Amino acid sequence: MEPILKVDKLSGGYQRSRPVLHEVSFAVKKHEIVGLIGLNGAGKSTTIKHILGLMEPHSGEVRLSGKTWAKNRDEYRQSMAYIPEMPLLYEEMTLWEHLELTAMAYGLDEKTFKERAEALLKEFRMEKMGNWFPSHFSKGMRQKVMIMCAFLVSPALYVADEPFVGLDPLGIKSFLDRMLEMKERGCGILMSTHILATAEKYCDRFILLHNGRIILQGTLGELQEQAGMPGSDLDDIYTEMTKEDNHVE
Amino acid sequence: MWNEKKLWDKRRSDYWAMAVKYLRLIANSGFLFTIYLLFVFGSYYYGQFLEWLPETFPAVLFFTALFSWFITRGRVRTFAKTGDLFFLTPREGKMAPYFRSSIIYSWLMETFYMAFLLLILAPLFFDRIHPSGSLLLSIFLLLSGLKWWNLASGFEEQRIQEQSRYRLHTVIRAGLNIVTVYALFSVQPIWLIGGLAAFLLIFYFAYFYKLSKTHSLKWDRLVDIEDQTVMTFYRIANSFTDVPALKSKVRPRNWLSFLFRFVAYKQGNVYRYLFSRAFARSNDYFGIYIRLTLLGLLFLFVVQLDWGRWLIAAAFAYMTALQLETLRHHFNMSSMVELYPGQEQGKFESHKFWVQVLGSFQTVIFGVFTTVLYGPVNGLVVLLLAAAVYFYHSSVRLGKVYGNASGAAE
Repeated sequence: MEPILKVDKLSGGYQRSRPVLHEVSFAVKKHEIVGLIGLNGAGKSTTIKHILGLMEPHSGEVRLSGKTWAKNRDEYRQSMAYIPEMPLLYEEMTLWEHLELTAMAYGLDEKTFKERAEALLKEFRMEKMGNWFPSHFSKGMRQKVMIMCAFLVSPALYVADEPFVGLDPLGIKSFLDRMLEMKERGCGILMSTHILATAEKYCDRFILLHNGRIILQGTLGELQEQAGMPGSDLDDIYTEMTKEDNHVE
Repeated sequence: MWNEKKLWDKRRSDYWAMAVKYLRLIANSGFLFTIYLLFVFGSYYYGQFLEWLPETFPAVLFFTALFSWFITRGRVRTFAKTGDLFFLTPREGKMAPYFRSSIIYSWLMETFYMAFLLLILAPLFFDRIHPSGSLLLSIFLLLSGLKWWNLASGFEEQRIQEQSRYRLHTVIRAGLNIVTVYALFSVQPIWLIGGLAAFLLIFYFAYFYKLSKTHSLKWDRLVDIEDQTVMTFYRIANSFTDVPALKSKVRPRNWLSFLFRFVAYKQGNVYRYLFSRAFARSNDYFGIYIRLTLLGLLFLFVVQLDWGRWLIAAAFAYMTALQLETLRHHFNMSSMVELYPGQEQGKFESHKFWVQVLGSFQTVIFGVFTTVLYGPVNGLVVLLLAAAVYFYHSSVRLGKVYGNASGAAE
């Protein structure tokens, strides 16, 4: 079965002379949540930017349902939703208008939009805030707006960059429940995070990125095996793998 | 080697590099043209105004009030930054050259503004106070000296922590200024003016200068003064162009939401949707639009020549169009727009759409207003001219603006 997202020997970064990523390869299949894990500066955000088609690879390629961004821009963008680390809102638009604009941009028909939007507002407990402007939102509320916009589109692939930052516990739970639901329906989810306990609980597989290279990837069992640390949790493996590197340096 | 003088020079040049960018934008925004118009009409009506002004007009008091205010206001521009509270306080004792430069700089700027003010008022001065040019020049030089005294004293005065005492000092300065400025404009004998100057000098050295020995600099206040100056500049610049540093508040303006009905719910309308919200609620697009429209109406009302009104209508339509043009950059910093599928073509078309819609409103307003005041023929000419301007802007100029950009950064 063809994976939803396939990253093949991707090298890239802001300058050709100083690549950030070195031959990164991984895939996200249907019914799968994949955790992208790494220290600050490991290359997580750069990887995500390449997947979003905001940067061109130096070599290698990224395919979404078999298509590259360069050849099928619109279809590529259409089949993916992004939840950024820092909420990117339009200060001059209300919460409802954010949802409406997103639905318009992704070509949802008006009826579907209203149904989904109302359900989402209810689930994230923001029904009363439809006419509010972002300046009245806390960090967590802003993040919820981004999350709702992504779920509204209901694409094949979700890319979430540190989605939990600033969310209250109920917000995190709603988000994760939705993620699981989307996974059941056959979506693929790529999620970068530092919160390893949550990642361990929800992700099916993990990609450990370090200095722009993948040092380990697989299920928790496979990671334990590769690291030679049977029975340890993700936290320990992560610390151990990056510590080893410190010794070398 | 780092030293205080170099730091000051660096900060001044940084500020001007920033300011020049905005000044250039202001110059390009039709502002110079407005000034020119004001100048042409102003010089015509100035003479009439002077004739109309009754003989009893208290010219000396008017000059005294205006220049006393002008000389008392304004403080030394230090270019101080918040970080200085931490990084420069240890070197406070060695900062004298830095602040000397600040005082000289502020004095030159203020003198320049004052020269400008005096130039505008010169005809009034010659008509009502004294016809001698050399007298006006002497007054100007003496006022400039008084400004120096005020800046120097005002700088030492900021060392006083207590807000009420600090204000009291300003009030005392204002009082001395009123006396001195009145003496100048009522053309008092030389000995009296000389006496006042001597008194001010002695007062400075005997009192203000001594403050610097006993009181430390109040950096918070210096930073406040600097911030206010920069903000004033930003606010002025903001009425001509978009100033990112000035995050002006978003205003809901619900009564403008009828504009949003021009945007149907469909995928191709993403930019129409975005632009409508940006225009109605953010920054001052709408404010500028309204101001230019009202200013246009005022000119249409005042100007008595037919062709003058035609010119005014076309000019104000064009200035408004140039302002609407800046909407183009509004969403440049938003990375979410980049992620939406299928928006490659939509931006230019949507921008054009809004220039045409908003242009039509203004055109109709100009046309109807002129019809009511000067009859249908005049109204029709104004209507057609404004419409032609918007047609030119939206179908020729805007396309070029977008065309040039696609080759470059965008």
